[in-house]
Amino acid sequence: MAYHTALYLFVFLPAALLAYQLFPARHRWKCLLFFSYLFFWLISGKLVVCLMGMTVFTHYIGVWLGWLKTQEPGAARKSRERAVLIFGIVMLLLFLGYLKYYNFFAANANRLLRTAGSSWGFSAKTLVLPIGISFYTLQAIGYMADVYWEKTAPERSLGKMALFLGFFPQLMEGPISSYSQTAGQLWAGRGLKGEDLSQGGVRILWGLMKKLVVADRLHVLVKTVFGSPQDHRGAVIAVAAIAYTIQLYMEFSGCMDIVIGTGRMFGVTLPENFRRPFASRSASEFWRRWHITLGTWLKTYIFYPISVSGPAKKWNRFAGRKWGRYAARLGVSAMALFPVWLCNGLWHGPRWSYIFYGMYYFAVIFTGLAMEPVWDRASAFFHIRREARYWRPVQLLRTWVIIVIGELFFRAISLKMGIRMFFSMFQGFSLSALWDGTLMKLGLDAGDFLAVAGGCLAVGIAGSLRERRGIGAEQLGKLRLPVRWMLYYGLIFAVIIFGAYGPGYQQVDLIYAGF
Amino acid sequence: MRDFRKPIKKSWRPFLFFFILLLLLNAASRAVSGIAKRSGELVRDRNRSYVAIQKEPENTVQVLVLGDSESYTTVSPMQLWKETGIPAFVCGQSGQKPQETYYMLKTALETQSPRVVLLETHALYNKEKKINAVQNVVREAGNYIFPVFRLHDIWKAGFSGKHYSGKSYKGFEIRAAVQPYKGGAYMKPTEEKEPVPEFSDFYLCRILELCRAHNAELVLYSGPSPVNYDYRRHNGLKEAAEEYSLAYVDLNLEEIGIDWDKDTLDKGDHLNIFGAQKVTSYLGKYLRENFGLEDLRNEEQYQSWNREAENFMEQYCKIVGNMG
Repeated sequence: MAYHTALYLFVFLPAALLAYQLFPARHRWKCLLFFSYLFFWLISGKLVVCLMGMTVFTHYIGVWLGWLKTQEPGAARKSRERAVLIFGIVMLLLFLGYLKYYNFFAANANRLLRTAGSSWGFSAKTLVLPIGISFYTLQAIGYMADVYWEKTAPERSLGKMALFLGFFPQLMEGPISSYSQTAGQLWAGRGLKGEDLSQGGVRILWGLMKKLVVADRLHVLVKTVFGSPQDHRGAVIAVAAIAYTIQLYMEFSGCMDIVIGTGRMFGVTLPENFRRPFASRSASEFWRRWHITLGTWLKTYIFYPISVSGPAKKWNRFAGRKWGRYAARLGVSAMALFPVWLCNGLWHGPRWSYIFYGMYYFAVIFTGLAMEPVWDRASAFFHIRREARYWRPVQLLRTWVIIVIGELFFRAISLKMGIRMFFSMFQGFSLSALWDGTLMKLGLDAGDFLAVAGGCLAVGIAGSLRERRGIGAEQLGKLRLPVRWMLYYGLIFAVIIFGAYGPGYQQVDLIYAGF
Repeated sequence: MRDFRKPIKKSWRPFLFFFILLLLLNAASRAVSGIAKRSGELVRDRNRSYVAIQKEPENTVQVLVLGDSESYTTVSPMQLWKETGIPAFVCGQSGQKPQETYYMLKTALETQSPRVVLLETHALYNKEKKINAVQNVVREAGNYIFPVFRLHDIWKAGFSGKHYSGKSYKGFEIRAAVQPYKGGAYMKPTEEKEPVPEFSDFYLCRILELCRAHNAELVLYSGPSPVNYDYRRHNGLKEAAEEYSLAYVDLNLEEIGIDWDKDTLDKGDHLNIFGAQKVTSYLGKYLRENFGLEDLRNEEQYQSWNREAENFMEQYCKIVGNMG
């Protein structure tokens, strides 16, 4: 029961809203908790015990840390707190690691053992991953760290902790929120409001448009090319990589629209995960606009702690004295960025192509940092103002190329195949493939391309209006009623008429729900 | 004194919004259904039966065949017409699920009053996860109430100039390819049984209620298929038929002369035209003997059926002739 299905939108969500409103305000969070666990159980069945176990454990660690903080201050207490935090994090990571990465580890270890001539090996296991585990594990770790850093007080109620980790709109694909961002809102028990319902509904519709009109339609082309890459080369590979980049964005951001819209209906403001990522001028800006909550999590809980850690400080002093500030800064950046991007790649799943994807961005961003003085001198020499409007298209194009290449490796069935596809892009590359009918043989016809173009244009215009002029859903609500309703009906019928669903289309599972 | 008009007006807004939405959905459904009926070639193959059965003149079909691909590869209405004068229509779809069968029947019964409904049983063994089955219930109900959901992408065929051109004879297409089945005997008697899954059983009940409400006899039949049937399924279906006092014809056990070297399309999964001829002949006799269906070949309103049967025979001879 994914968020874009009729069962969720027309049965589950209305039932949850109705029950929520009928409950007395102080018990409404219990209603949300019930529906969250029902949602999880409907998808993952008895694996709900994993979520329960993780919740009890996280709650216990939080309470433990809270208790330690009431003890006599001093170095001993600090080291005990650190030990408890490390214990909590390690246990959660071991659990996640076992379920998600065991077989990957076993396969690679066996390969090494075979190379070394050993007949011994790890046996593969059939492990079922509970839905959304990668998302709520990060939330749980974030919560523990926040309690340790005293950013938040430990949650005393186990039920409330369960709701924070398992709130049903966030379960499958995030956004990964910190305790301070959502917790209070979840148990505020605010009654449903007409404005929240209509704004949330519009956001859900917008997400459905992205998913059903654009992403699911492009899925056909992407699957055709990435499913049999040996049959394609040149411009077709490039088109497929671009199509996948658009598909992934429309799908993930569309799902986030549905999730945030659902939250809004209950009066819960969830953090945004996307902010026009394709308007980025650099790879690092792209990651500040794409999957924002993952980036924020990695920055808060990995990048910053490493940047201010003892070894980083030591290096800073040592390298600063020996080679200057530039080398010192570069060294600290490498020290902090490397684990961030390794974790980013690994978080997506147990595949070398994901690890490569993380390392690719590490290389791109680190190179960008290292070359900064060179760019500065070159800009000065050629009299280029890097903030000027005329330079923007060059920066955008450069960033798009970086993004599309990254997604090519990300989507390829293996790293080896990704490398092969990358090189085959340059074999027999001809732009004529764009108009000689080649694209029409990839499962989409002229009508499909028109619908995709229309959807992308609408998303582009809406994003631009929101970012540049601050015109968003709130402003839509201020329009005169007939105009507003006509827009709503237009959007509803755009989804119904142009959506890629029903016979002839494959129901496409949410991509990020698989991570 | 407080003016209550404004809040009342505001509180009615959601109802008005959804009322207008329902009107718009209804209007769009009518418009799209109209286009689909006028230009059947724009309708995807899987939806064609929904549109085709609604296009048939009212109350002309006496036998309705439902089910998945096993239904439209086993009964040839034109052959049945030529041999017995019984007007039949196949409303089968590839991979038809029991929920779809139910709504297909409901759609057909809006314009037709069949005497017999033949339900090919393989669709009942559709193994779906419960959550997916419930999801399909919601989807199919939506498709039935507002056909614009089902036929929403008709614009695409029109825009791209694409025509779904497979020629269908009252829901049956001539498929003459041969891929022999070499597996030998497959109906080995046993006491074990594979019961009809719970969800399908629920829909079987609803289909039966619908048939009874429209004075139609529901008959279960299993088309010959070594890939899809065995004795365990036979026992399960027999038990279900007895429970609901339904007739059950298992053509995997009847001697109808299927030659698995020549009569199958795909190694025993489906029958080709030659296998369908044998099943149709058998069912024709069965329907005449058990339900007293009349020969309508000389009736004025069925002259178009005679013409279509001639076309069917011409096409059949051409295809079989090409095979040498």
